[in-house]
Order: sequence, then structure tokens, then C-alpha cells
Amino acid sequence: MIKLKNVSKIYSEDTVAVKNINLHIRPGEFVSIVGQSGTGKTTIARLIIAEEKPTKGKIIIGGWDITDIKNSEVPVLRRQIGVVFQDFKLLPRKTVLENIAFALEVSGAPLKKIKTIIPQVLKVVGLEGKADRFPRQLSGGEQQRVVIARSLVHRPKIILADEPTGNLDAINVREIIDLLLKINKFGTTVVLVTHNPGIVNGLKKRVITLDQGVIISDQKMGRYIL
Amino acid sequence: MFFIALYRIFKFGFQNFWRNFWLSIVTVFILVLTLFSISVVYTLNVVADNAINAIKEKVDIDLFFDPTIPEDKIFAVQAYLESQPDVKAVEYISKEQALESFRAEHQDDPTIQESLSELTENPLPATLVVKAKALEDYSNIVVNLDNSEYSHLISSRNFEDNQVVIDRLSSITDRIYQVGIGVSLIFILVAILVVFNAIRMNIYTQREELGIMRLVGANNIFIRLPFIIESILYALLASILTILILYPLLSAVSPYINNLFEGYDFKMFSYFTANFWNILGLEIIISVVISVISSMIAIGRYLRV
Repeated sequence: MIKLKNVSKIYSEDTVAVKNINLHIRPGEFVSIVGQSGTGKTTIARLIIAEEKPTKGKIIIGGWDITDIKNSEVPVLRRQIGVVFQDFKLLPRKTVLENIAFALEVSGAPLKKIKTIIPQVLKVVGLEGKADRFPRQLSGGEQQRVVIARSLVHRPKIILADEPTGNLDAINVREIIDLLLKINKFGTTVVLVTHNPGIVNGLKKRVITLDQGVIISDQKMGRYIL
Repeated sequence: MFFIALYRIFKFGFQNFWRNFWLSIVTVFILVLTLFSISVVYTLNVVADNAINAIKEKVDIDLFFDPTIPEDKIFAVQAYLESQPDVKAVEYISKEQALESFRAEHQDDPTIQESLSELTENPLPATLVVKAKALEDYSNIVVNLDNSEYSHLISSRNFEDNQVVIDRLSSITDRIYQVGIGVSLIFILVAILVVFNAIRMNIYTQREELGIMRLVGANNIFIRLPFIIESILYALLASILTILILYPLLSAVSPYINNLFEGYDFKMFSYFTANFWNILGLEIIISVVISVISSMIAIGRYLRV
């Protein structure tokens, strides 16, 4: 599903974000990418969604070589990868429903499709009764669930969550991780970028550990080793 | 699918306009100033062209014939002149017609009327009024006539060379026109910068929303086109406002301009009402081109897609 072959991202001689990364994530996997701050986790996430281009190497997503992806093709890629960030990125003046619909509207989806999909994704994330609330009326966990719902509208094959629990308390962290596991059970590949040992150790899933831009460990039933 | 996309692009474009309402108003105002200066230059050009044409139209040669010359000889001169390639028209004014129009012209002057009634004979000569095809043909016609067999029939002629007046008028209007073009170019430059800045500000204030759009896989047209729509909206509003200011102003100034053209067939406001759609169309084209070009530069420079 996701292949990185000898990928390096070098900003300058002194700033090497990641170096010679070789990675193969199979369809339906739940993979955690861990490491301390500044080790290149987020760079890998940004390379996967073509927010950055690699200096060296090749990136293949679902059989599509996106190494030199054209700007016009990026939206097509983004619809295949649902993205969840730590800072939610919700529009404060739009309701839950409008925030989710916005993702479909700007992709040119017809109204009928929008009306069908929104109740479905709201049900998946458990926010059926809160469609008309504004982000400020929701807890952090609920806001992150809205983001996850928005990331699901294109029925992506991959969910990429970069520190999705960074702004949440313990209870909400558990809820979000459970939600990601639930989505993974439907067959969606989940890539979780985190530096929270508690989450990783509780998952008992594949863990890739980065240190100074290099993969130092890739375990099937991994633990946080740093 | 196409219409729903179009509807959303327009919706986002209008939202952009309203969200930075005061900036939009300032941008429209600068565009109005630009269009207005262009309109004034255009108006000056129209008035100057008509003034020159009016003077050109008034130029002719009057050939006066001695009262003893019989009419058939005058007709022979008329036929000769009409056969000349430079001549556009030759009008014959008989002694009687000349007297009649002289009486009519001075009907309010009792001294002249009294003098005329005391005369036993018509003192006015028969006249041929010659109009050339072009202004520069007059001297040629005069020379040809002087060298022809008919020259001895003509007692006198009245040919005022208006070329000097026309040249002077042309040079003044050309200068006004050049200054007007210069001022308009400055306004165009300012308008481009102001629209550029307005779109840049809008991109900046919406950076969060644009970031989300990119993240969720928005089509590039949904990201870029609303800004183009916004700039077209500026242009359309500016064109309509300019027309709303320009026409009442022209209507107010028109009587003064018409006074200058008394006796000529030129009514300024009628000209502008007859050409209303052309003028509105031209204003829209100019403002849309200015707005779209500058917004595209801003989008290319600041909107990373």
C-alpha cells in the first residue's frame, strides 16, 4: 500500500530530515511510527501526502509512483489518504456538518452524495446528534472525531494520523485510538505518527522507530523502545 | 456536476468579497477612478474629433460672379468643377437666393432691411460653393481653376485657409490626449497594485481554510477560481458605478459642450446615450482585464496549490 525506497529528505547539508528510509506498509495494516521530536516522523507523513517531495528515493502509494507527482494530481492523491492532525484544522465558523461537507464540496461532490455520506461518517465517529454544533461547542476529543469523520468522506484506503492525540486528555486519547482501530477493522490502512509510549505499547501492532532520521527498529508486535 | 461546481466557485468568490468588505470597497473605488480617468480621456477624444470634423465641414470655396455673367456660363463652371476628381460637391446660389438668405439672416436688423428696400437692383452676386473631398485638395482646386478657361468669369473668391486653425486645434487636443493617456496609465498601474494587494490579503486571511482545502483534496479550481471570480466582481461593480457617475456628469456638462458646437450636428450626450452599450462593454472589458491579470499574478505568487 505504501512503499518508501531509499527515501531521503535533505533541506541543507546540516539539515537532513530523513535518510535512506526503506518502508513497506501493506494494505489493512495498523502501523505506528514513533520517535522523539525532530526525528523525521512528520517528514515521512508529509512525504506520503506529497506535501513534500523527496530529495532522493522513490515513494509509491497503492501502486502509484508519487515521487515526482504533478501539482494537478495532488488532490487525487489526497482523496485516497485521510489526514488527521494534532491541531484539528476545523473551520470555527462552520458547524460539524458544514466542516465535513466542505471536504466534499471542494472536491466537486454532488449534493446527493454529500447528503448520503455525512450521516454515515458521523455514525462511524459517534457524533450523530452533534451535526449542528460549532467546533467551540465540542470537547477536544469530539473535535478530533469530527476531523476523523472529515478524513473518511472520500472513503480513503489510508488514514494518516500525525499526533492525533497530542492535544487530548487520557480518556479522549483512548477514544480516538479506539476509533482508529475501528476504522482499521473496516480494512483501512492506518499510519499513526506519535511519540506517546502509552498508546504504542497498548496497541500491540507494528511499530517503526525513528532516530535522527533513520529507522532503527521495525517490529511486528512492537513497543516503544526509546 | 458542472453547474454545482460553478455554483460553489461563485459562492466562494462572493464570500471572499464579503469577508474583506472594506478592502473590496477600496479596490472597487480605485478601479472606478481608473475607469473614470479613461472615460474622461475618451470623452475628450470624442469632443476633439468632432470639433475638428466640424471645422473641416465648414471649409469651402465661394466663387462670386459678376452680375453681367449669364447663368449658363456659371453652370458651365459648375459642370467643370464637378468633373474635377478632388471636388466633392458644387452648390449654385443664384442672386435671388443670395438676397433671400441675406434678408433672412438680418431680419432683426432694421437698418439693413431699410437699405435693402431702398435698392432697386439686387447687389448680391451669384455664387458657387465648392466643397473638396479632403482639406488638402482645396489649394489644388483653386490652382486648377485659375489656370482654366473659366478663370476670367470669376470676379472674386472667398477661401479662408483653415488648415492653420485645424493644425493648432489638433496639436492642443493631441497634447490633452497624451496627458490623459499618461494619467490613465498611472491609474491602471495603481489599480493593478491595489487589486493585487486585495487578493494577496484575502489569500492571507484565508490561509487556514485554503490549507484545509488542500489537505482534503480540493480541486485546484475550487482553490484558485474563487479569487478570479472575486476580482471579476470588483471589475463589474466598478464598471457599473463608473457609468452611474459618468452619465449624470455628462448630462450636466453636455449643454456647455453643445454650445461650443452651435450650428454643427453634434450633441454630446446623444452620442453617449447612442453608444451606451459599447461604452459599458468597453469599461467592463478594461476593468476585467486589469483585475484578472493582477489577481492571477497574486494567485501565482502567493497561492501554493
